[in-house]
Amino acid sequence: MTTIAGQRRRLALSRFWTQFRHDRAGMTGLIILGIFILTAILAPILISPDALDVTQAEGDRFDPPSLAYPLGTDESGRSILLLLAWGTRISLTVGLAATIISMVIGTAVGIMAGHFRGVGSHALVGVTDWFLVIPFLPLAIVLATVLGPSTLNLIIVIGITSWAGTARLIRAQTMSIEGRPYIERSRALGAGNWHQMTRHVLPNVFPLVLANTTLTVAIVILSETTLSFLGLGDPLAPSWGAILDRAFSTGAVSQGAWWYVLPPGICVVLVVLAFTLVGRAMERIVDPRGSTA
Amino acid sequence: MIRRMIAAVAAATVALAPAAAISPAQAADPVVFTVGMLNDIDSLNPFTGILAESYEMFQLQYATLLSSSATDFTPAPGLAESWEESADGSTWTYTLRPDLVWSDGTPLTANDVVYTFNRILDGRYEQRNYGSYVRNITSVEATDDRTVVMTVAAPSPIMERLAVYILPEHVWSGVDAKAVKSFANEPEAGQTLVGSGPFLVTERRSGQFIRMVANDTYFNGRPAVDELVFRVYNNPDALGQALIKGEVDFASGLTADVFSTLEGKEGITTYAGGYSGFNELAFNMGAALTDGTPIGDGNPHMQDQQVRLAISHAIDRQQLVDRILDGYGTPGSTVIPPVYPTLHVDPGTQSYDPALANQILDDAGYAMGPDGVRVGPDGEPMRYRLFVRSDSDTSVRSGEFFKNYMAAVGIEAEIKPVDENALFEIIGRGEFDMFEWGWVVEPDPDYQLSTFTCGKRSYEDGGEIYADLSDSFFCDEEYDRLYSAQAVETDQTARAALVQQMQTIIYDQVAYVVTYYYDNLEAFRSDRFTGFVGQPEGTGSLLFQYGTHSYEAVEPISADDGGTDPTSSPSPGATTAAEEPAETAQSSSSTGLIIGLIVAALVIIGLVVLLVRMRSKSAADTKE
Amino acid sequence: MSLLQEVAVGEPDPIRTPRVSGSTLRVVVSKVVRAIITLAFVVVFNFFLFRMLPGDPIGLYTRGRNQDAEQIAQLRRDLNKPLWEQFITYISNPFDPGIDSTRFSRPVWELIGERIWPTILLLGTAIVLASIIGIWLGIRAGWKPGGRFDKVSTGTTLTLYSMPEFWLGMMLLIVFGVGAFGIPGFFPVGGISTPGVDTSSPAGWLNVLWHLVLPCTTLLLIYLADYALVMRASLIDERKQEYLMLARAKGLRDAMVRKKHAVPNALLPTITLIFLSLGFVVTGAITVETVYSWPGLGLLTYEALRGPDIPLLQAVFLVFSIAVVGANLIAELLYIVIDPRVRQ
Repeated sequence: MTTIAGQRRRLALSRFWTQFRHDRAGMTGLIILGIFILTAILAPILISPDALDVTQAEGDRFDPPSLAYPLGTDESGRSILLLLAWGTRISLTVGLAATIISMVIGTAVGIMAGHFRGVGSHALVGVTDWFLVIPFLPLAIVLATVLGPSTLNLIIVIGITSWAGTARLIRAQTMSIEGRPYIERSRALGAGNWHQMTRHVLPNVFPLVLANTTLTVAIVILSETTLSFLGLGDPLAPSWGAILDRAFSTGAVSQGAWWYVLPPGICVVLVVLAFTLVGRAMERIVDPRGSTA
Repeated sequence: MIRRMIAAVAAATVALAPAAAISPAQAADPVVFTVGMLNDIDSLNPFTGILAESYEMFQLQYATLLSSSATDFTPAPGLAESWEESADGSTWTYTLRPDLVWSDGTPLTANDVVYTFNRILDGRYEQRNYGSYVRNITSVEATDDRTVVMTVAAPSPIMERLAVYILPEHVWSGVDAKAVKSFANEPEAGQTLVGSGPFLVTERRSGQFIRMVANDTYFNGRPAVDELVFRVYNNPDALGQALIKGEVDFASGLTADVFSTLEGKEGITTYAGGYSGFNELAFNMGAALTDGTPIGDGNPHMQDQQVRLAISHAIDRQQLVDRILDGYGTPGSTVIPPVYPTLHVDPGTQSYDPALANQILDDAGYAMGPDGVRVGPDGEPMRYRLFVRSDSDTSVRSGEFFKNYMAAVGIEAEIKPVDENALFEIIGRGEFDMFEWGWVVEPDPDYQLSTFTCGKRSYEDGGEIYADLSDSFFCDEEYDRLYSAQAVETDQTARAALVQQMQTIIYDQVAYVVTYYYDNLEAFRSDRFTGFVGQPEGTGSLLFQYGTHSYEAVEPISADDGGTDPTSSPSPGATTAAEEPAETAQSSSSTGLIIGLIVAALVIIGLVVLLVRMRSKSAADTKE
Repeated sequence: MSLLQEVAVGEPDPIRTPRVSGSTLRVVVSKVVRAIITLAFVVVFNFFLFRMLPGDPIGLYTRGRNQDAEQIAQLRRDLNKPLWEQFITYISNPFDPGIDSTRFSRPVWELIGERIWPTILLLGTAIVLASIIGIWLGIRAGWKPGGRFDKVSTGTTLTLYSMPEFWLGMMLLIVFGVGAFGIPGFFPVGGISTPGVDTSSPAGWLNVLWHLVLPCTTLLLIYLADYALVMRASLIDERKQEYLMLARAKGLRDAMVRKKHAVPNALLPTITLIFLSLGFVVTGAITVETVYSWPGLGLLTYEALRGPDIPLLQAVFLVFSIAVVGANLIAELLYIVIDPRVRQ
């Protein structure tokens, strides 16, 4: 059984890849992502940690771009290009970690809410609805204020506030899958709840989960940027949002220091766009209804 | 140039509107001096407000018995023209100036002084801001209309520094002990608050501005400026821009970055004034309650003076001044800043010397470990928690610098950003190793020095531990003895000697590493106003002083009008602040809002109607 | 946030499928009740969450103040009643005018009352303009999916949607407020009006409008991206259904019917989604008001973060929740009243 299922999965995967390869938007996104991930991995190898050390900074403050400092310097004289490179690690790590939390909670809640009937399911749906309706940023602000400014807390806060959309989607998908005949048959054969959820529902929702995950990362990175900008993240970690926060509070705007403001934002836009393109491409392939052009 | 042309066209367009932007020429437009500041006041009620900005309003509105001179902070006449301490130090007699009058014409007498002080002595809520001034006072009496006699339990130098705002009895007797907690002390529309200072509050719009008018009955003479407006800006950027565009005449409390952009701009003079504040890196020198019971979990290494001394040598104060203050400050030494030259002292023995720091640690038994972190004689590594204030940019940046300085001598500092409320608690409980914060020091050093006494350490109440003033938990018998001595020493020279001795003790013990004395960065339109008076003269801040000297002396430059000059502020519709009808906060933007809402509502209603009609039409259509 | 997922998947919300029945009133009542319960949970959540905060709320009052220990202790005793007692007090009236902001020393609801109008002005203008432009863009793009207009428009809107709104605000501020790249800074760098201007006069309105341009443009660009994408997807969805219906033997006459039906039918979900996206709108307002020093609720939230000012944060959170839940309720009710699935 396993070998055949395994073979089928490998075939599905290769078919998926062939389709994906021909999706121009998706491939563009993937390439952009690749560049950023590479930067994140190579940063500690190529850049010395002195680039972040304020006591070693040699440049003038708020210097416009030059040969020595291709993206100019910040308020302590550090090279903004190197700060950005380091920031890639933080932004991507937080993005990934928070997404994992969000997806795990969302998928679990979604499958359970869709599978079970009765009070438990209603409670789950109620909680999901609550998190869906309450506006994200005020809720995140309140949570982050209570927990305190740190990278870990930021991951937790974003994870907690982002899972509801996924849960609702997965629940709908679960309910539609469970209407299928073979599930009924397996239930008649005595398959328990856990078996049904993990063996039948999960593998079927999985492609959708994957596509949704990719889109969620995009949203999570935007959220992290926003929360860091408001000063709710670790102020010493140069994530892109934190760099923008520094730029704002040290007066980059009135100095006209566009080199401090433009590049971090462009990085965010590119990464978010990349994840969005990849996610949409995945959905085009995976979603049986193919509703978007 | 283009900007002005566009502005001119816009202004011309606007001028077609019936309510013309610039009102027809008035006999003499009032002189308006506008100050931009970065925080709004918290309250106009002198018993409630605690922010520096609020105190500025209080001292403009209400005069005090004594003031601090502009030249060197020495006690100067205020409402009282003379004062004297009895030979045994048990009474103080203040003689008020003749013919003092409140702005509404009521005579200002010793009874108002007695009323104000008794209110504080007898009150609970009123003690919040003024408790320490009246600590030793046992009674306050008016022997006649112009004479006030105060009896003290012990000789008290603070009697020359009573920063208590004398309030009009005929107004404030109507605000009882319960009402005072929520009393806003804001003027009704079109009225001004009754006061005795150079200016009187006439309008306040929360979050935006406070408007004051000159007091004709001010004892020092009516100021040359007719109206004084304080505008609130929520970031230094915007404030800098406002000064350039002429929206304000004076910008206070600027950051170094914005200050630099203003230097050299035509018509603007930038001024880095010495200030009575400092920042420090503080240590947990053995957190304990007033009775000596240890509390908290501070690392015992912090109690070793050699460790603290080494850290002091590892920090490059000059680099901090250069990089964080952009050069606008002085490297720090002791806890009484150099703006008080008679009191300040600088032993000068803790210079930046990482090699010496390493040496000290080696000699003291803190050997370097294999991972670059030293290990103490107790076998524990030198890893400490360093708290910084998350909402202060300079605090966070200082933390980054400290971390790197200490790493260079084998100490690992874990930077922990927390908000100020939380930090206050953490300090009180002794759950820290180091932190970064700052103080602003009054002309009377008593308050600042008291924070290092054994008696100001934390206390227990109902099972909980609460913070008092001491955040270093310094406790030294000799120091406490000197503190008691200076508290009753009314001879200035003798007292100064005691104060200097105390500072040296703190310095040698390295209770704080005072990092820098930051300058107060101000900038103003020197093409519009002149006559500012620094405190201390020549080197100190121009506004937000201990006293209202600049406000009384400033005057416009051009003879015609000192108000807003149309060409320098290109905003269409800019007016002089003449004839502004006093209005409540609501009506201003709500008029524009109402229009917007009506439009939006119409659009939405229109869309819904459209949809409904299409629905019924389609239903009719598909009926076959 | 979930809107992007909505756009991508295009799936109607299974939870909110309205029922066709005569008991519309019962449905309406049940939805209102649900909204109230949601808000009740916000109040409870507010209370308990902030109890988790370490720290002594009056601690900050006493630093640097002239007070002795006994007075402070008394103050504290007055504030520390048992937890359940505090809970009941808060629950019974979260709008109590006696609740003071610790940062401003004034009643929080008074502050909110003052700051709500600028926010409504800014958001209202941005939403109305963004809806009009966004819907138009979405229609044109969705009409010929894959066409040149669609490609350019979708690319642009996707990029806009990926932007942090405050970053766009800062860039616009640098270029058009301060002046960069040779462009002079014509617009003001912040605030709602130039000081000294009487904002109740027509000249004053113009001044406010001039200050409104940059922040409104920032929000407008972000919102319209969202609305355009939704409208486009909605229209494409709708057209597919129409196409399938038509496939069952109808004639040319119905091509014209298509035009009369497709767009209006697609318009409704879009309008309701505009209401539903108020949560997203609110998020943008907070950061953009901060960047432009626009004295509204968003800036108030940012200012409340210093301290932090707990009572103010609680109140602001409640206000935003009420606004969003209210908008959702309106959307749901709209859906019930005008449901395209109700065909006779």
